Amino acid sequence: MYTSLFHTLNISRQDMISRLVDLDVTSNNLANFNTAGYKASRSNFQEILQQQSKEGTQLVSTQMLNTQGAMRDSTNPYDLAIQGEGFFSVTMPDGKVGYTRDGQFGLDASNNLVSASGYPLVWSGKILPGMTNFAISPEGNATATDATGKNVVLGQVSLTIFPNPTALTNKGDNIWLESVPSGKAQVGIPGAQNFGTIASYRVEQSNIELSQEMTRVISLQRSFSMSLKAFQQTDNMISQAINMRKA
Amino acid sequence: MIKGLYSAASAMVMNAARQQVLSHNIANLETPGFKQILTSVEDFMQNQSVYSTAQNLTGPVDYIGQMGLGSQLGPEFIDYSQGPLMNTGNLLDFAIQGDGMFQVKTPNGNLYTRDGRFTRDANNTLVTVEGYQVLNSTGQVIQLPTGDVGLAPDGTITVNGTTVTKLGFGVFTNPELELVHSQGNFFTGPAASTSKTVPQVVQGYLESSNANPTQLMTQLVEVSRSYEAAQKMVQNNDELLGKTIASLGRIG
Repeated sequence: MYTSLFHTLNISRQDMISRLVDLDVTSNNLANFNTAGYKASRSNFQEILQQQSKEGTQLVSTQMLNTQGAMRDSTNPYDLAIQGEGFFSVTMPDGKVGYTRDGQFGLDASNNLVSASGYPLVWSGKILPGMTNFAISPEGNATATDATGKNVVLGQVSLTIFPNPTALTNKGDNIWLESVPSGKAQVGIPGAQNFGTIASYRVEQSNIELSQEMTRVISLQRSFSMSLKAFQQTDNMISQAINMRKA
Repeated sequence: MIKGLYSAASAMVMNAARQQVLSHNIANLETPGFKQILTSVEDFMQNQSVYSTAQNLTGPVDYIGQMGLGSQLGPEFIDYSQGPLMNTGNLLDFAIQGDGMFQVKTPNGNLYTRDGRFTRDANNTLVTVEGYQVLNSTGQVIQLPTGDVGLAPDGTITVNGTTVTKLGFGVFTNPELELVHSQGNFFTGPAASTSKTVPQVVQGYLESSNANPTQLMTQLVEVSRSYEAAQKMVQNNDELLGKTIASLGRIG
């Protein structure tokens, strides 16, 4: 077995970096406790052992936890929430499609339905000036009352699902992007199996479990101190070896 | 005296090796399914001590006992005891209670693990965080259609209420002898179970590392002190050797 103390120092060094990365992810989760539609992330660390040589731990993947967030009532008809697995599609400034669970939409200056960050929702309808009573069915059919007082069908809001939503790329701004490990996006009508349904006058809250994240912060702090102790002790051992010969 | 110098040095080398194993265990305190590595220490060698009574040291020798020549690291063991279960709420986090291991397909053959952090991949296959495919009870790769995943305690997986497959397990009567820690958090073992025990799995939980912080800290102190003691012994031997050379070498 390769037992150099310098290698042992490196194990603890790598370990401390891992804890800090994990703490970053946890802090980000806590910071987004009040972000509508936000999904918690988790960093996955794995033991490294090659040819019986112990190398501590390394980050192998980061995953999103796609559990349902709790629902909150709202007075805004454009607040849409998804009950189930799907995502809303929005058009990013670069023309690509981004996916979000944040359904706090609103109308922009040109009457487009846009997300909280200002990205237009991808759907088949158009809201004309003077329309009132915007409503959406659980199956995503949007209706409104036009200027003449007549009820009109506006269009369809679809949802998107992925084989592995946990591997979507976090774009920031509460937007997720399709990635190779997430698999291909499948667009479907709300209410179809696995796609989930849409509720209006509802906001989906983040799925952060406060107690779990806080416990994580504490346990990360403790394991960081332990790695630090091990690091300092290994350093001390090296120093003792160097100072073995009295002058 | 030279022997004493090397005996003391062997203890330093041995404790450096233990320090590495301890650091590795500490590094994996937060790794789900991790099984801590235990070290053992053994006698390096016993040597016969002889003493000659004749004046010119050529006569018959008396056997006066054994002399140890230091210590070395003995075989390593894996502590297969159960780690505490931790709730994650994630439907694809599985934990085994009691004996048994998940079976996965890797580039290095089929391996066993207690790490139940699974996800679907882009093709709906159930995989580990490294992307290794999880195997079912007939040794096949598991395809999970889109939908809500359920897990029965016996390992039966359902999607939207329909049974899809059953998880494959390796259960061993004597894991210490039958399994080899061949890769980070993965073990090589016999192709089939050697025990009849039926594993129990729970969904939405992960098994935490079974490394115990209190125990680890105690061991750290122990290693630190024995290393220090051995270092002092090397210094003492050095001093004695120096004195021997200085005083015995003086003429007149």
